[in-house]
Formats: sequence, C-alpha cells, structure tokens
Amino acid sequence: MNHRLDGADAPYWQGLEQGRLLLPRCAHCACWLWPAGHRCASCGGIGMVWEERPLRATLYSWTRTWHRFGFTESLDLPYVSVVAEVEDCGVRLMGRMDDVRNGAGPDNPRIGEALVGRIGETVVGDDRIPTIIWSRAA
Amino acid sequence: MTHPLYGTTAIAGVGLRQFKRGTAPLPERSLLVEAILDACAEAGLDPAEVDGFVSYGDDKNEPVRLMGDLGTRRLSYSAAVWGGGGGGIAGAFGVAAGAILSGQASAVIVFRALAEGASGRMSAAVMAHHLNDHLLAAGLVAPAQMCAIRAQRLFEHHGVDPRIVEDLVRASYHHGRANPEAVAYGEDFDIETLRTSRWIAEPFRLYDCSRENDGAGALLLVSAERTRDLAKPPVYLLGCAQGTEAGWGDLMENDADALYATGGFRPVARDLYAQTGLTPSDIDCVQLYENFDAQGVMSLIDHGFCTVENAAEVIRFDNLIAQGGKLPVNTAGGNLAQGFIHGIGLPIEAVRQLRGESSNPVSGARTCLLAGGPGAPTVSSAIFASQVL
Repeated sequence: MNHRLDGADAPYWQGLEQGRLLLPRCAHCACWLWPAGHRCASCGGIGMVWEERPLRATLYSWTRTWHRFGFTESLDLPYVSVVAEVEDCGVRLMGRMDDVRNGAGPDNPRIGEALVGRIGETVVGDDRIPTIIWSRAA
Repeated sequence: MTHPLYGTTAIAGVGLRQFKRGTAPLPERSLLVEAILDACAEAGLDPAEVDGFVSYGDDKNEPVRLMGDLGTRRLSYSAAVWGGGGGGIAGAFGVAAGAILSGQASAVIVFRALAEGASGRMSAAVMAHHLNDHLLAAGLVAPAQMCAIRAQRLFEHHGVDPRIVEDLVRASYHHGRANPEAVAYGEDFDIETLRTSRWIAEPFRLYDCSRENDGAGALLLVSAERTRDLAKPPVYLLGCAQGTEAGWGDLMENDADALYATGGFRPVARDLYAQTGLTPSDIDCVQLYENFDAQGVMSLIDHGFCTVENAAEVIRFDNLIAQGGKLPVNTAGGNLAQGFIHGIGLPIEAVRQLRGESSNPVSGARTCLLAGGPGAPTVSSAIFASQVL
C-alpha cells in the first residue's frame, strides 16, 4: 500500500502500475473530471467512472530543466517536462518527454505537436513513481 | 455607495530588515521583532498596543510567540491568508482592514519574515505546499519550473516576444541602483548579464528569477481616524481583492485555456477596480511581485495596463522608470533588484513612494497598485493612496 492509493486519483495510479491510462468521468453526465474529485460541478452528480484512454496527446506546454533542483537527482540534466493534453478528452497531464535535441525534427518541442506516450517511472528517494513519458509522434 | 474598505484604514509605519541569504545576524523571529519595532517607532505607537497580526505564504512566526518581545498586552486577532506562495501578500491588508473595521483589532501588523536557517529555502517551502506525485513524476519540483511552463505558452503560443521581459528587468535594476537598501545598489546592470546567465528552466535563465534574501518586513495598519494621532502621514488602503474564479486554481495545469498563460489576476483586478471606482489610468505607480519576469508581464496584462497585443509598446524601459515613465514599476528595485523577502519589500516601497520617501520618487504620485505573487492558485492585489481621492 502506498500513499498514491489514498486519494481520489488512486485509480489513475493503479492504472499506470498496470500499464494503462485511466481517467475519470462523471458517472451521470459523463464529462471528464480532472483533477479527480468527489462531485461533478456541472451536473451535481456524485461519483466517477474510470475509462481507459490511449496514450496519445498534443503538447500544451513544456520546459527544459537545467538546474539541479532537490528531488530530481535521478533525472539526467537537462530533461524536458511537459503538460500534455490527452486526445479526445481535454484532460491535461504533467509528464516528461524524451528530449528532441539532435533528433530528426526541430530541436525544441513545439506546442501543438502530436505526442505518443509510454509508461515509465521516476525515482524520487526510495519511491518509484509511475510516469508517462511522451515522445514526438512519428 | 463607497466600498467599506475605501480609505478607511491606513498604514502608519513600516519596518524592513534585509540581508543576503544565509547571512542574517539575528534569528528570524528577532529580525521580525526589529522590523515591527521600526514600524511602530515610525508611527509613534507603543508596540505593546499592537493587538493584531496578519501574514501570508505559510510564515512560520505564529504571532502569539511575539508577545514577549513586543510586550503585547492583548492579542485579539491573528490570521494568515491561505496559500504557499506570494499570492496572498496584498490580501493580507484586506484581512487586516477587515479586523479593524469590524472592531476585532485596532492596530494590526502585516508581516513576513524569512531567514534561511529557520525557514529553509523559500522556494522549497512554497513548493512543499504544492508538491504531489504528479509533479514529482514530471520532474516539476520548483516554482521556477511551474512558471516557466506558463511563460513558454505565453511566448510560443500567444506570440508575446520573449525579449519583452528585458525592459522590466532593466527598469528594476535601474531603480535598485539608486536605492541604498537594494541588493543592486550602486550596480551598473548590463542586460547581457541576463542573456548569458545559465539556464534554470527554459525559457528562464538565472536573471529571469528573483533570488531570495533573509529578512523581515512589517507594516502597521490602523483606522484612518487613528492616523491623526500618529507621527507619519497616512498611506490609505483604497481597496483590496483576493482569490480566484472558476477556471483557475490548484488544477494541476487544467486551468481554462484563456487563463493558462496569465498571472491569475483577472477576477481580482476586476473586483479591485470595481470597489475603488479607479481604472488603470488612475494608477501612478505599480509595485509588481515578479517571482519571475514573465509572470510580471502577465500581471501587468491582467491588471489592464496593457494587452497581449500591445505589451511590447507599454513594457518599455523608458515607460517603466520613475524618471518620466507613465507606468513606473518597482521603484525600489522590486523582488529582482531590491531584494526578495517573499515580496514584503513591495508594499513597503508603496508606502515610501506615496510619502515621497522613495529613492526613485515618482513626481506627484498619489496612487500605487500592489500586485501580489502571480501564478499562485490564489492571488491578490491592493491599491494604496496618499490621500482619499
């Protein structure tokens, strides 16, 4: 049991552990709810259902970190962090992205470009946190 | 009808102690006590008469612990604005005024104290307030990175020229250069210093970021009526608004698309202008919390001083300086060049500017807008004035 299973977003973390991206929708009006909560403000309904989404997204924004901040010791500098908008649901997730410097396309990520994700992990202290790592879609 | 906050309370004294990070000669709480004593001495008010305290940003100095040093006879009000960042700084004055106007306190100190030994790095404390596994997994662990992602969208998606921040930075250093209390006092700042400084988190380099100081600041708020018996000319609070609205907040980057690349001030600015009946053109100078320069730009846009489209025309060095600019900003140097004690130097400069005591006086300045920490889930702003207009 880890603390990721204590919150309203526990199914998200469980999903990643099992290799799937699960996101919550209102059980009544079916709108996507993120961050995960308890009640849908649109219809007033209580309760969520979790649906699997493919690991496809568009890049919403990004930063490439060069400074060694505490808690990032396991990540090689520089590294790219992104906000990715998951396809067909509008939910934005924070994640990491393979750096595109010296790749085939432009050297920087481009807002609006298509991404594909895979599930990896980020080591923070003794913890291994499941993480979506995005790449530029071919 | 006049809003209840309009000109009914005033700042009667200020105190500021600032040191290079990690070099404060006194413990954090002692620095705070000194700043409070300075504020009371300016006003000519016995510190034992202070009966209220308000802070913000998770300050660690619970007011009850100050009673011994200050000789406090009756502590009748202590409160803090929620939020881990600097977003609450201006809101603290609204909270303090609320206490005074409702008869819960009569002399309230608004304060912030920060010394690395006692409170650790401020950036780490701000982030600890927000950190969760979603952030840790993405390697996003610092305010610089969170603000960088928003700035990237402002520049790349909304098309604001990234160079726009340079005029804001230059104006800050220009003002700091003339301010004996500023970290940049006497320094000639070359913008190449920014352009060639190391990357922190793109698009931010080191000199795009405010750097922390040790110190403490305190401002004494009393009723406008009471200032007549005190030593310094009053600086009135004309209005104050805090918070957020639907579409902005602690949403793990799911803010409304139209708000994402802003500082989060739109509802606050709207309420502040509605309360006071003032507009951006009535504001003579601005004390602008710039945790990062791009967020300062967003804040100026949010408060109606310019738009995304004409930002480059308004945010120009000549226009931002006290000597002849139409929009003088951070006339003591701001968080970048005066020093950064979680922003408490900004309202202190607002007071000094409106008293005519600034190192960079703005000719005829009667009003000053204080914009709190941009990009925080909840933010706040206030307007101060040398007279009730």
